[in-house]
Amino acid sequence: MRSLLELEPRPFATEPARPPRLSRRAKWVLGLVAGALFAAALGSLLADQVHARDQYGRTHTALGITQQRTRTVSSQLQELSRDLSVLKTQVGSDTTALSQDSSQLLGAQTSLSAAQAHVTQQASLITSLQSCLVGVEQALNELAIGNQASAIAALNAVSASCTSAEASSG
Amino acid sequence: MAERSGNRRHRWVVGVVVALAVGALVAAAWTDVDARTQSRNEGAALAAANTHLAGLRHQVAVTRFAEAVTKSKRDALQGSIASTMSQLAVTNESLANANVHAYVQGVGINTLQTCLGGVKSAFSQITAKNNAQAAKDITSVSGACTQLAGGANTGLVYPFDFPDPSVILAGQTSYAYATNSVGGNIQIIASTDLTHWTAVGNALPNLPGWATPNYTWAPAVAMIAGTFVLYYAVDVAGTGKECISVATAGRPQGPFTDRSTAPLECQKSLGGSIDPASFIDTNGTPYLVWKSGGPGSSRIWSQQLAPSGTSFVAGTNPTSLLVPDQSWEGATVEAPDMVTTGGHYYLFFSDNDWDSGNYAVGVATCIGPLGPCNDATPSPILSSGQGVAGPGGESVFADTSGNFWIAFHAWVLGAVGFPNSRDLYLRRLTFSPTGATVATSG
Repeated sequence: MRSLLELEPRPFATEPARPPRLSRRAKWVLGLVAGALFAAALGSLLADQVHARDQYGRTHTALGITQQRTRTVSSQLQELSRDLSVLKTQVGSDTTALSQDSSQLLGAQTSLSAAQAHVTQQASLITSLQSCLVGVEQALNELAIGNQASAIAALNAVSASCTSAEASSG
Repeated sequence: MAERSGNRRHRWVVGVVVALAVGALVAAAWTDVDARTQSRNEGAALAAANTHLAGLRHQVAVTRFAEAVTKSKRDALQGSIASTMSQLAVTNESLANANVHAYVQGVGINTLQTCLGGVKSAFSQITAKNNAQAAKDITSVSGACTQLAGGANTGLVYPFDFPDPSVILAGQTSYAYATNSVGGNIQIIASTDLTHWTAVGNALPNLPGWATPNYTWAPAVAMIAGTFVLYYAVDVAGTGKECISVATAGRPQGPFTDRSTAPLECQKSLGGSIDPASFIDTNGTPYLVWKSGGPGSSRIWSQQLAPSGTSFVAGTNPTSLLVPDQSWEGATVEAPDMVTTGGHYYLFFSDNDWDSGNYAVGVATCIGPLGPCNDATPSPILSSGQGVAGPGGESVFADTSGNFWIAFHAWVLGAVGFPNSRDLYLRRLTFSPTGATVATSG
C-alpha cells in the first residue's frame, strides 16, 4: 500500500535535496483537518462567548433587579430609621413627662395625706368641742336654776372632752 | 517556472488563510475572554449587590424590630402617663375636697370655740351670781351658737335656754320673756328686727316672800291700763304647789315688782295653776287664761281680769276652756295663749310631755274669751320636724306691720330633754276661720 507521504522520485544529485512534497490529496486532507480543527476551535470559542454573554446578560438583568430592590429597601430603611428616630424622641419626651407627672402625683398624694390627717384631727376636735359645749351648756342651765350638784355632774361628764378640746386647740 | 509561481501563490494563499484563521481564533479567544471577564465581573457585582441587599434587609428587619419595641415602649409610657394623669386628677380632686372640708371644719371649729367661750363665760358669771352679765355673755355669741343649732332658717333666733316665751311689741321694740334660766327669775331679751336679740337682764329681780326662788316659769306680759303687767307661775314655799302671781312695771324691760302677799290664782285642789297668759279682747277687756293640774288632770281656764289687770273681776269664776281629748295631746294641755282676729277667737295650747320630742302645739277655736272652745284641727299645727324637736310654750303676737308670729321654744334635734336648752324660735302664723297655719321655716 502506498503511503500518503510517499516520496517523489529523487532528483538529480546536482540539485539540492528537496523535502518530500505532499501529495495533493494529502494537502486536501491536511487542509480539511486543519479547517475542521479551526472550525471546531472557532465554534467552541464562539459558543463559549455566546454562553458567557448570555450569562452576562442574565447576571446584568439580575443585578439591575437587585439594584432596584436595593434602592427600594434602602428607601424603606431610611423611612424606618426616620420613624424610629421620631419614636425615640417621643419615648424620650414621654419618659420626661411621666417622670414629671409621677413627681406631681407624689406631691399631690403627700398633700392629700396631710390634708386628710388634718381633716381627721379637726373632726376629732369638733367632736370634743361639741361634746364639751353640750355639757357646759347643760351645766349652765342647771346652775341657772340653782341645781349646783347637777351642774357639777354635767361638767364632770364632759371634762375629758373639754380637756381634749383645749389640748387640741392649743 | 509556472509551476513554481503556482506553488508560491498557493503557499501565500495558504499562509494568508492560516494567518486569517489564527487571527480569527485569536480574536475569538480574546472576545471570549473578554465576555467571560465581563460575565464574571457582573456576577461578582451581582453577588456584592445581593450581599448588600441582604445586609439592608437585615437592617430593615432590625429597625422594624426596634421600631416595634420602641412603639411598645411608647405605648406603655403613654398608658402610664394617662394612668398617672388620671390618678393625679382624682388625687387633686380629693385634695381640693379635703381642703374645702378642712376649711369648713375650721369655720365650724371657730364657731364652736366662739359659742363655747360665751357659754363658759356665762357659766362663770352664774357662778358669781351675776345673771345679767351671764345673759350678755351668751347673747354676744348668739350668732355662732345659732349656726351650731342648725341656723336661722328654722326660725331659731335665740340659741339658749329660753323656755315658755312670751313676746310683746312696745313701740318699735319687741320684748321676749321666758322661764327662769341664765337671765334670772324671768329672762328678758329685746329686738328691733325680730332676728337679732340682746339680753336685757332679769325682768323680776325680786320674788315675793311667799315664793320659792328658782321656780319662776312661763311668764306673760301685757300692757293694761298704761302699766306693763307680768303674770308668771311660781312655786309657793312650803306647799310644793305652783301658782300664778302678778307683777307690774312702768316699762316693758322692767324691773317688775310683785307686791303680792299671795298668788293671784292657785287651784290647789286641782294640783295648782301655771302657764298664765293675758288676753285683751277687742273691746279692751282683759282676761287671763292658764292651766291647772298635772298630767292626766290638766285643764285650761279663762277668767276676766279687773281693768288694772292685777286681779280678777270680783264675783267671777274660772271657766274651763279645754281638756285633753285628742290622742296626740297625750294627757296634757297647757301653755294657753288666746288671740282674736277677723272676728274669730283662737286658743293656742301646748300638749303632751314637755320634756320630750312629743311636745307639740295645737289650736282650738272659741266662741269668745270664756269659750266654749273646740280643737280646730285633727293634729298639732306645730310638732317635731323641720329642724326642731318638741316645740311648745308658745305665744302669738303681731309685729309692727300687723303680721302674726308664733314664738315657741324647742329642743335642738338630738338634744331633747332638760338640762338641754329649749331655744327660742319665731315663725310666721296665718289664720283661717277654722284654724291657723305655722310657716315651716323662720
